[in-house]
Amino acid sequence: MQERLDRWTERAARGLARHTSRRGFLSVLGRTLTGAVLLPLLPVMRGSQATAAEPGAKPAATDGNSCEYWKYCAIDGFLCACCGGTSSSCPPGTQPSPITWIGTCHNPGDGRDYIVSYNDCCGKTSCGQCWCNRNEGEKPMYRLSLNNDVNWCMANDNPNYHCSVSVILGVAGK
Amino acid sequence: MWRRAAGACVALLTAWIAGAATTPPPPLPAEHLTVATLPERSPHWVFGYDSSVSNETDYRIYVYDGDQHRDLGQLDVGYYAGFALSPDHRTTAIATTYFSRGGHGTRTDVVEFWDNTTLALLPGEILLQSKRAQTLPSLYNVHYSADQHFLYVTNLTPAASYSVVDLAKRAVVAEVDTDGCVLVIPSAPRRVSSLCENGRLLTVTIDDTGHESSRTVSAPFFNVDKDPIFVQGIPTAKGVTFLSFLGDVYAVDLSGPEPAFAAPWPIVTAAERDRWRPGGTQPAALHEHLGRLYVVMHKGGEGSHKQAGSEIWVVDVASHRRLARYPVDVAKYGGAISVQPSQDDRPLLFVATENSSLLIMDALTGRLQYAEPKLGQTCCYLINP
Repeated sequence: MQERLDRWTERAARGLARHTSRRGFLSVLGRTLTGAVLLPLLPVMRGSQATAAEPGAKPAATDGNSCEYWKYCAIDGFLCACCGGTSSSCPPGTQPSPITWIGTCHNPGDGRDYIVSYNDCCGKTSCGQCWCNRNEGEKPMYRLSLNNDVNWCMANDNPNYHCSVSVILGVAGK
Repeated sequence: MWRRAAGACVALLTAWIAGAATTPPPPLPAEHLTVATLPERSPHWVFGYDSSVSNETDYRIYVYDGDQHRDLGQLDVGYYAGFALSPDHRTTAIATTYFSRGGHGTRTDVVEFWDNTTLALLPGEILLQSKRAQTLPSLYNVHYSADQHFLYVTNLTPAASYSVVDLAKRAVVAEVDTDGCVLVIPSAPRRVSSLCENGRLLTVTIDDTGHESSRTVSAPFFNVDKDPIFVQGIPTAKGVTFLSFLGDVYAVDLSGPEPAFAAPWPIVTAAERDRWRPGGTQPAALHEHLGRLYVVMHKGGEGSHKQAGSEIWVVDVASHRRLARYPVDVAKYGGAISVQPSQDDRPLLFVATENSSLLIMDALTGRLQYAEPKLGQTCCYLINP
């Protein structure tokens, strides 16, 4: 988990470095690191109470084409699974955004909360299939690391927004 | 005898009908191809900002007449456009992005200017650095200074800043680093305020060359974690008003050298709190002269702040009293996402829905006057032109 977070942070940081001024990069890096330190403090209280699947709970939605899929609890855009990709992979010929925001989603299938990364897939015009807008824990633009309104393709060579994925980074609240 | 007479009558009637059918109507007159001219601006017009979600390189702004119930024309505004109406209302500035090959190719960020009296694109674009913020519409992504000398354009790379565009020199003359704070909320004479991630307000004073001369940062005036405010600020005579996710009103007075924050007050009762919430794309708008706030409301909990509303609440700003609740026929038109009253004494209330319908109500009674079934593709943020 830590290794994966490190890899993700490194990718994000390299992406930031390519596309921002040094001062801006350091400023954002500082906030990103602050965010990383605060990760265990994100609203993941339910994680500490994680149990096996709740008795009597509805089966977890696991269809990547469905807006009800638990991983999509704060996604905002077209689901890449409907655009040639999957819930965690960009469609062929597009480029993942190196910067993103993270959220915490509850999987009713195993009773755990997971930290997910909402990446946009970029470089083509909007996919137009399976629009999905959910906003659990989402905050306005001034809390950028928790905002899904901005175009997260902003730092890509081609910032055209195509679709969005939700990538599990690990279990929250350990 | 009687039968013979009846037969003759039938024959005569048949001949008359046949004759009438074969007489051609006079031909239509020849037409002359013309270009329609825009009538004088009416307070009952509204600009409908359409993000054209299924093909986002093609945002538009529709100009709609709320009395005639017709589309009067459009502005083509590119990709994730920011907009600003000039203080004299004659011009709409659009800060936007184009790609040299349609959906790909070289990115160019630019400010373009539209003549609101003709809906024609004016000559003289201004190039920006390719860093302007691409986000949902608000009145404060891009804004003129009160004296119309500068245009401020929010940047996000994701490092936050804004560009200061000198409209006389037709060029970006400065960039102000906002240390993570976003949006450009101007106040006279040359101040610009921005919202910060810790609930503070950054205010920068700009000198005559467009550069920063000083800055102040307020104490936190709202709680980002417990009850954040919507970024869709509502301009007021003295500054700006924000609405929070739970329905508190935060009025900020920007008329003095330092911002002044009034005590927040709720539009919901204690029993309604956390059950009824504001929401949508443009959750609230003000009729300034009447002092009435119109708010898109829905029943919902945490995470529902963009949910479409089933009612429009009308609140008197002076007394904090709710005056009315206007229902929206959600089953017929979709839930409300945006609201904007006209600013005259016979105000119309424009309400955009999640189905891209535009409802036109009497703002004083809530009576539905007309429903435009489809304005654009995924309209709307609503602006008084």
